[in-house]
Amino acid sequence: MAYSLSLGLLYLGLLCGNGLVSARSELFTPDPSRGPHFTGCRSREQETFRCWWSAGIFQNLTEPGALRVFYQTKNFLSEWQECPDYTRTVKNECYFNKTFTQIWTSYCIQLRSVRENITYDEACFTVENIVHPDPPIGLNWTLLNVSRSGLHFDVLVRWAPPPSADVQMGWMSLVYQVQYRVRNNSHWEMLDLESGTQQSIYGLHTDKEYEVRVRCKMSAFDNFGEFSDSIIVHVAQIPSKESTFPTTLVLIFGVIGVVILLVLLIFSQQQRLMVIFLPPIPAPKIKGIDPELLKNGKLDQLNSLLSSQDMYKPDFYHEDPWVEFIQLDLDDPAEKNESSDTQHLLGVSRSGSSHVLNFKSDDDSGRASCYDPEIPNPEDLASLLPGHSGRGDNHPLVSRSSSSIPDLGVQQTSEVEETPIQTQPAVPSWVNMDFYAQVSDFTPAGGVVLSPGQLNSCPEKKKEEENEKKIQFQLVSDGAYTSENTARQLSASVPPSPGPEQGYQTFPTQAVEGNLWNGEYLVSTSDSQTPYLLPEAPPAPILPPVSDYTVVQEVDAQHSLLLNPPSSQPAICPHSPNKHLPAMPTMPMGYLTPDLLGNLTP
Amino acid sequence: MNRVKVLQAWLWCVSLWSCWLSHAIPLDCKDETGSLIQCTSISQEKLLDRVIQHAELIYRVSEESCTLFEDMFVPYPLHALRNQGGTVWHTKPFPIPGSKTEIQQISDKWLLHSVLMLVQSWMEPLIYLQTTLNRYDDAPDALLNKTKWVSDKLLSLEQGVVVLIRKMLDEGILTPSVFEHTLTPYDEPSPEVLESILRDYNLLICFKKDAHKMETFLKLLKCRQSNKLSCLSY
Repeated sequence: MAYSLSLGLLYLGLLCGNGLVSARSELFTPDPSRGPHFTGCRSREQETFRCWWSAGIFQNLTEPGALRVFYQTKNFLSEWQECPDYTRTVKNECYFNKTFTQIWTSYCIQLRSVRENITYDEACFTVENIVHPDPPIGLNWTLLNVSRSGLHFDVLVRWAPPPSADVQMGWMSLVYQVQYRVRNNSHWEMLDLESGTQQSIYGLHTDKEYEVRVRCKMSAFDNFGEFSDSIIVHVAQIPSKESTFPTTLVLIFGVIGVVILLVLLIFSQQQRLMVIFLPPIPAPKIKGIDPELLKNGKLDQLNSLLSSQDMYKPDFYHEDPWVEFIQLDLDDPAEKNESSDTQHLLGVSRSGSSHVLNFKSDDDSGRASCYDPEIPNPEDLASLLPGHSGRGDNHPLVSRSSSSIPDLGVQQTSEVEETPIQTQPAVPSWVNMDFYAQVSDFTPAGGVVLSPGQLNSCPEKKKEEENEKKIQFQLVSDGAYTSENTARQLSASVPPSPGPEQGYQTFPTQAVEGNLWNGEYLVSTSDSQTPYLLPEAPPAPILPPVSDYTVVQEVDAQHSLLLNPPSSQPAICPHSPNKHLPAMPTMPMGYLTPDLLGNLTP
Repeated sequence: MNRVKVLQAWLWCVSLWSCWLSHAIPLDCKDETGSLIQCTSISQEKLLDRVIQHAELIYRVSEESCTLFEDMFVPYPLHALRNQGGTVWHTKPFPIPGSKTEIQQISDKWLLHSVLMLVQSWMEPLIYLQTTLNRYDDAPDALLNKTKWVSDKLLSLEQGVVVLIRKMLDEGILTPSVFEHTLTPYDEPSPEVLESILRDYNLLICFKKDAHKMETFLKLLKCRQSNKLSCLSY
């Protein structure tokens, strides 16, 4: 029952509520098109409130007393009472003082014309819903900090609650809102609601004037009060040149100093820097050999020197990856003892297997460069070595002098066993093979026929090594040279075996005209593992002694050597390999420059 | 003789029971593990601060719930009902004055008791509100959560006020509410949607108002505790 009644009153209030209570915020501007109506009710401190009305279009009701306000508190459904105080100073205002103001109670006010007994307007509200607090007072600001660049600064804004609001008692709980803008700008920046009495504003620009203002409202209500007076916040831009000045100066001077230092350094250490940055191309040289000696020394001295070079080290062979792929079949010692390379070269040997080097064809890049098919024929050179018939007459060099270079390498069939170094003592016929062989003749096919060298105690070493041959031929033809390391690597895989004889043959030129050689040399290694193709010493002791070596006249267009007619020369064991070879397991590695060779004297 | 003995025994039991009840303040203190330990004491000032914080939070959340409900369910023209403060839906045992002067004249004891009464009077309606809100199809989760939260907080607020009463007024009090509230409007669900919406809206408005009352009273109490002079009416 009570509930339904209250609900009915609710609907009634809803129906009667227009203008004033349809919107939360009160309207102050009277609507001239309407009849008499309330323009608004406000409370400043939740202790008193006022209501205003307007006569509207009914101008005959403007005189005071024509319209009267009645109110009723909804608590106990009391009767309508008239406005307790019509303000004398203000027109059309009804003032409710403290005694008549109750919060948490609903008020309904009516605008009546008593004479006509017409109720023109009615509004219902509770006092706390019409509270618009006074603006805060005492707004001031303090500078918090200025950014390092001097372009921005932060301020702390403080204020005090309005004196009319009894915040201390807790009668009103206020929240504040700070707004700021650049002066004369139209847009205000709004900050979040703040329940305290201070707020920081960050990121303001120096040299700009800011306006700051604050207003408050009761927490949990929506009615803001008026804004406080604006204050001006301005921070002049500090000419911060002093702070940045030394920094830039220091920077500039530092850079200049560094540049000067660098220039001085470069100029003072010019030579060394040149060496570091532009290293000179090393002149070809044989390690341990004095170039002067090469220039001026005698041939036999040179030979002794060269043979004494301990450049053939097995380690190098092991280190070089590409050499590893070169595998020689060492498992046939019998064959080793069969014949020497020279023998093979000379065509004495029998089996016709294309063997020589059983290096597995592989794609090692290290070798690939050496196996440039463009390189004109190593075979041409190989043909210079008549006696170097490793095993069998299928020495590729000799037998297939016309074949292409790739054939040499590729055609190594599996059946080929290495032509290891022939240990000479096993073959009496070869034991006293000369170290050098003199080219005696050229075959029409382009092969080189070596004349057998004189018998001497020089051990020979025959190695068939096509790879190396190729390399060397390549070297010959190209004018390139192989470095010591490469040469070492050529023989790197050769383990030092006792008594392996290293043949070393060069084509020393007596008088090299021009750059016949660019320091090429043919290297033979001692061991069977590294197949080396060497011009071998001439084979048969039965042959008449011929010159051990001859002078290469020139290299013609086909990269074949043109030799001087053999001059009778004593059979020289150029470097007395017997003595030297045991001492040094590997061949001397190095190369001769053409100019060095040119100075060699037989 | 037997009757006397029985009577004595009964009186003894009753006295013991009342004695037990008077001390049975259901404030169980539990530590982290959950076992009951002796409650650590707290100063009266701190307790009052905490109670005020509770009341402030409840008030703010009640306002948010009211706004949420209004935005979601209440048709726009009816938003004006909020300004009108809602209709009284149940009578209170004693009227609460609304003017500042009158309130300032209320004694501490009365302030605390009225706060307690308010808190206790709202416990059931909020539980009811939760069930009705669940009946709406698209009630926002935020609203449901807030309502639940408020219910829980009311319980702790009640406990705090009871302790305050005991400390400040040196009187024990039985936790069951002594005030009997009418629940007839909420016993039967309303068939009409609008009516139920309006009823719930009204409930939220009134709860917000009462939460405001609680907060105001407690703050006044605090003001009196700290500075007697400025809080008295002048």
